[in-house]
Amino acid sequence: MSLYSYLLISIIIFTIGVYGIITQRSGIKILMCIELLLNSANLNLVAFSSYNGNATGQIFAIFSIAIAAAEAAIGFAILVALFRLRDTINLDNINILRW
Amino acid sequence: MNFTLLLPEILLTILAFVIILMGLLISDKSKNMFGYLSAAGLLASLVYVLGNGMTGKTSFFYDSLIIDPLSQVFKLIFVIVSLIAVIASIEYFKNNRNQDEYYALLLLSTVGMMVVASANDLIALFVGFELASMSTYVLAGFEKKNPASLEAALKYFIIGSISSALMLFGMSLIYGITGSTNIPAIIEFFRITHLSAESSIGILAMIFLVAGFGFKMALVPFHMWAPDTYEGSPSVVSALLAAGSKKMGFVAAFRILILALVAIRVDIQYTFAILAIITMTYGNVVAISQRSIKRMLAYSSIAQAGYISLAFVVMTQMSVAGGVLLALGHALMKGGAFIAVAVVSYMVLNDNKNAKNTDDLGNFAGLGKRAPITALSLFIFFLALAGIPPSAGFVGKFILFYSITVEAVSQASSWLLIIVIIAILNSALSIYYYARVIRYMYVLPPNGERIKEPVPYVIAILLAVIGTIGIGLYPEPFIQMAINAAQALGV
Repeated sequence: MSLYSYLLISIIIFTIGVYGIITQRSGIKILMCIELLLNSANLNLVAFSSYNGNATGQIFAIFSIAIAAAEAAIGFAILVALFRLRDTINLDNINILRW
Repeated sequence: MNFTLLLPEILLTILAFVIILMGLLISDKSKNMFGYLSAAGLLASLVYVLGNGMTGKTSFFYDSLIIDPLSQVFKLIFVIVSLIAVIASIEYFKNNRNQDEYYALLLLSTVGMMVVASANDLIALFVGFELASMSTYVLAGFEKKNPASLEAALKYFIIGSISSALMLFGMSLIYGITGSTNIPAIIEFFRITHLSAESSIGILAMIFLVAGFGFKMALVPFHMWAPDTYEGSPSVVSALLAAGSKKMGFVAAFRILILALVAIRVDIQYTFAILAIITMTYGNVVAISQRSIKRMLAYSSIAQAGYISLAFVVMTQMSVAGGVLLALGHALMKGGAFIAVAVVSYMVLNDNKNAKNTDDLGNFAGLGKRAPITALSLFIFFLALAGIPPSAGFVGKFILFYSITVEAVSQASSWLLIIVIIAILNSALSIYYYARVIRYMYVLPPNGERIKEPVPYVIAILLAVIGTIGIGLYPEPFIQMAINAAQALGV
């Protein structure tokens, strides 16, 4: 497969992620969409790494995968704490702070 | 390699882990000592940063970290802000049984910001950004029985992680174009290949990076999280976020955007000019209608981000120096102002344990009589934020606006002059909402007795006051520092 096909897939995944973040209201689904965004960037990095012929991109991807895992853990921790307090993770109901 | 230049980061990292480990071993009652321990560590780092690396360039770890005047100025900002936040936290989180985690996270977020300040490689930049962001997500939600604090954390987390994903995507595109993650190598590539405005992928990468950094800087289309997060978080954490974490976006933007934009010669000044003007006007106009002082400070800090990003419009040495100085001044003024709000919350909670909206404007009535030190300091911070001399805010704004005027005259361009005039009118507008709080503090009658202000708060506030006034009265060394930083950047 050429570089273009990988970039195309990555852009499609990125778009799905952005679409999900805009339309979904559940905290968990938004977290999943953020993972899609990060992974589309990882796919980009690995594809470019193979195309450019150096390994930096793959190292970068490993770093970002590790960081994404930590980020997801923190996100779920915040959602759990919020669910214990408010019994909801629907973002429409989380509206104490406003204008 | 001379690792001693990295001692502040090493010290703070070790201290964070030591605090976590000791927190497991000692009893809840003796956890109050961690605040003093962190303050001592930050003080040592502050002294070390002030004394070392202010000239010259040293790079570490295969050129992925760099110590130069720019990194040192921003490290100074981050360490001072953390120091102020830690000193205030000694009182704010007194007798909290999770103090060990709080201080460890605060120190780690400081380390993350310092890594961003000296990052010379996209990987180091990304890792530093995430370290600082993730620690602050948790800090924002640290009062986990308080719905507002958790909501602030959730909003900050969602928008922050979207912004880091956008940034990572932009970085992946830049890596794809240039085949390297080293920042000087990237800029050299842009310069040699004359990648110009026609290259759509380069523009796309820049847009993603501007969006990613813009979220951290809270420029206007990307500012939605800032007022909610600053209002909901504990006041000491708001101080850290508004004064420290925001500057992280600026130092990253200084390092990458300015150089890359100069190299690819895109006419992106117009983009930044529009962003800056919208940001400062929106921040100032919305701040007028706020009753919550923390929210008002959040909008005013959005406006200040607008002023600082004027440095990206002309990109001369003088304007970058002005941007750096204003960033330093803003860190001190805004950090101190949030701590002063924490004192008011403490006062209100002392009167009534179940008080809601402790930062409401009404609670500031007669503050000049109830808490004179806090009121006087808040008065000074507000005047400094509005840019009245002699203060750090004035020096920064003066140099920034002056540099743009000089550039406008030398290029004979009227649009630069219009930008300066809008910026000055904005400063005038901001005096309105600061003066309203000052009227509440000094003209209206107090609704309670005089209180004894807790010593840690007073020390933290006085530290910020001394910095604000000191830079205003004796600006030469700081201006020199900022000019050195701009020279190190090579604009």
